[in-house]
Amino acid sequence: MGEPGQGTETPAGWESRDGKRKKETPAGWENRDGEREPERGARTGMGKGNRSGMGESSRAGKRSGPGPSAGAGSRKERAGCGEPGRSLLFSIPVAMVVLRAGLCPGLSEDMIQLLSANGIRTVVDFVSSDLEDVAQKCSLSYKALVAVRRVLLAQFSAFPANGADLYEELKSSTAILPTGSPSLDQLLDSGLYTGEVTELMGAPGTGKTQLCLGIAASVSLGLKQHVLFLDSTGGFTASRLYQMLQAQTEDEEEQLEALQRVRVERVFNIYEVLRALQELRDRLSQQVVSSMGPLKVVVLDSVSAVIYPLLGGRQSEGLALMMQLSRELKTLAREFSLAVVVTNQVTRDSSTGPLKPALGRSWSFVPSTRVLLESKEATREKCSTQRAASLAKSPRQPTGIQVELDIGNGDVLDPSLVTPTQGL
Amino acid sequence: MADAFGGAESGTQLLARLEGRSSLKNLEPCLFAEEGSPVHGDVIEFHGPEGTGKTEMLYHLIARCIIPKAEGGLEVEVMFVDTDYHFDMLRLVTILENRLAQGTEEMIKQCLGRLFLVSCSSSTQLLLTLYSLENLFCAHPSLCVLLLDSLSAFYWIDRSNGGESLTLQEMNLKKCANFLEKLVTQHHLILFATTQTLMQKSANSAESFLPLKLPHETDTDYRPYLCKSWQQMVTHRMFFSKQCNSANSKAFTVVSCHRKRNQIVKRSFSVAECGVQF
Repeated sequence: MGEPGQGTETPAGWESRDGKRKKETPAGWENRDGEREPERGARTGMGKGNRSGMGESSRAGKRSGPGPSAGAGSRKERAGCGEPGRSLLFSIPVAMVVLRAGLCPGLSEDMIQLLSANGIRTVVDFVSSDLEDVAQKCSLSYKALVAVRRVLLAQFSAFPANGADLYEELKSSTAILPTGSPSLDQLLDSGLYTGEVTELMGAPGTGKTQLCLGIAASVSLGLKQHVLFLDSTGGFTASRLYQMLQAQTEDEEEQLEALQRVRVERVFNIYEVLRALQELRDRLSQQVVSSMGPLKVVVLDSVSAVIYPLLGGRQSEGLALMMQLSRELKTLAREFSLAVVVTNQVTRDSSTGPLKPALGRSWSFVPSTRVLLESKEATREKCSTQRAASLAKSPRQPTGIQVELDIGNGDVLDPSLVTPTQGL
Repeated sequence: MADAFGGAESGTQLLARLEGRSSLKNLEPCLFAEEGSPVHGDVIEFHGPEGTGKTEMLYHLIARCIIPKAEGGLEVEVMFVDTDYHFDMLRLVTILENRLAQGTEEMIKQCLGRLFLVSCSSSTQLLLTLYSLENLFCAHPSLCVLLLDSLSAFYWIDRSNGGESLTLQEMNLKKCANFLEKLVTQHHLILFATTQTLMQKSANSAESFLPLKLPHETDTDYRPYLCKSWQQMVTHRMFFSKQCNSANSKAFTVVSCHRKRNQIVKRSFSVAECGVQF
């Protein structure tokens, strides 16, 4: 990666991201490992025990009776194989790959110099040029060139998978995670699907963060799975999460364990988000998963807070960064079977127009599922905890269906303990 | 370059490639303005905003293709290139279950065996993957439908990486388009590709001096922004939209136009558990 000639081709986003990662990773790593070490045994044990429970909620379960699949073995397999078995390659920005010795067998230093003299410097240049021509111009062996091309293609292209195989794999890796709110589950066709990005959108105070906390509580306590909470607004409230956990169990030990399974990172700009996601990817693909237990949910609250500052001005750069983020979220969701939840603001075209999600058209294609949250106007005298949630986009449910949510006291143990933030 | 591989194919492969393709005119007659379409070599673009049924329509086409003849399908193989990380296998399975007389697990897997999937995370990877798919098309004579969802996925990233130079911005996509064209003609494929409405149509802008301006394109929200090579290879362009009033059960509309013959047809469809219904 560190080729000197590469500078010109490096997109700005990658550069700063790589730079940051190099600087900050080592410390972060030690820290984390140190923290987790003593509990490692206990955690993985728990993860295993609970897995069959998850199987029941999965689509596979609905379909044909899953059999108590999974366990450590299959989890490892899954984490390793990602989409079509190439998870490692996803993190290499292929655009930057310059031909160099050792990149693939048969590609020697002399060959590279000859090619470079004829304007062939990158893998793309090489693969897309007419090799008969190249063989003549560079006086290289045609056969050798063809062999190199074949290896390069195999190395850098994505590998097609057969639908039947993929289905088999998905049946064991897809899970539907309950959100902690039965009516929201109903809206989402029984919960959050792993492998997808789900967006909760709404004006301030419509309960986006509350729902995210509810999801974190439900997944960490009910399913004993880990949650990564990326907080970009400072809206994460540990005490509220604790309240929610208290409402669900009285066992203090369990509450504490559940709290420990939720990992919060404060990320206040897009570079920090990208770095956090890159770190996550590194950990997951190196299968350090075991040290932090099975991660099932990544929450980004909110995505608009980190993207807004990029838009305007020279738009295309900001949009490119936004798409880079979306790509990272989607590939993580797919490769490691995570449910990704993001929150977004809403806006209107005119003062009377209908509410629509912020971040515009390009972002609109990113989430598979979008849920619109609205406050109910009716009871204003009391700080209402009633919200209406409607489905704005879904790959499997008719859109437009609406349910009522109670984000307030319902799941809190003792209403009198609730601080004035309850209406939020 | 591909010629080097083309030249290496066996006689049977050549025959299979040129003769063995079964007709696809029954794929979905409702989608096309004229009878007998699509034919091998057609390039069809699905264009529309989010949630207007483009991907759903692709599931419908996949189901039509991979369901066996005995059950009313076409029994051909399909390649799906997923650049949006969007493909929902469970959704496809639900559609298959609803359409097969006996939706047994065995049967579904048999159908899915005719589907190939590949995901690409950058335009470079897309290009290299397309190059590498050529051999697969040679080896599978019944693989004759290529679906790409979506072609505009890397637009902003490429545009930003290309800096000020339009040529650099479009380089990968242009190469992809050129190679797709070659694949489609040489292997007698049908290509369906979705493109997203990323741009708002602006009243004054550059598109007004594009020569090929079809009359109806003025009233749909369409503004071509992908590279010329792609614009020119498209034979059918279909505009997807969705009505807001949810009272109407057929809430989705597709306007289909044949670019050369200038034929236009407008159809409504609904999306249910069993997929697209006209």
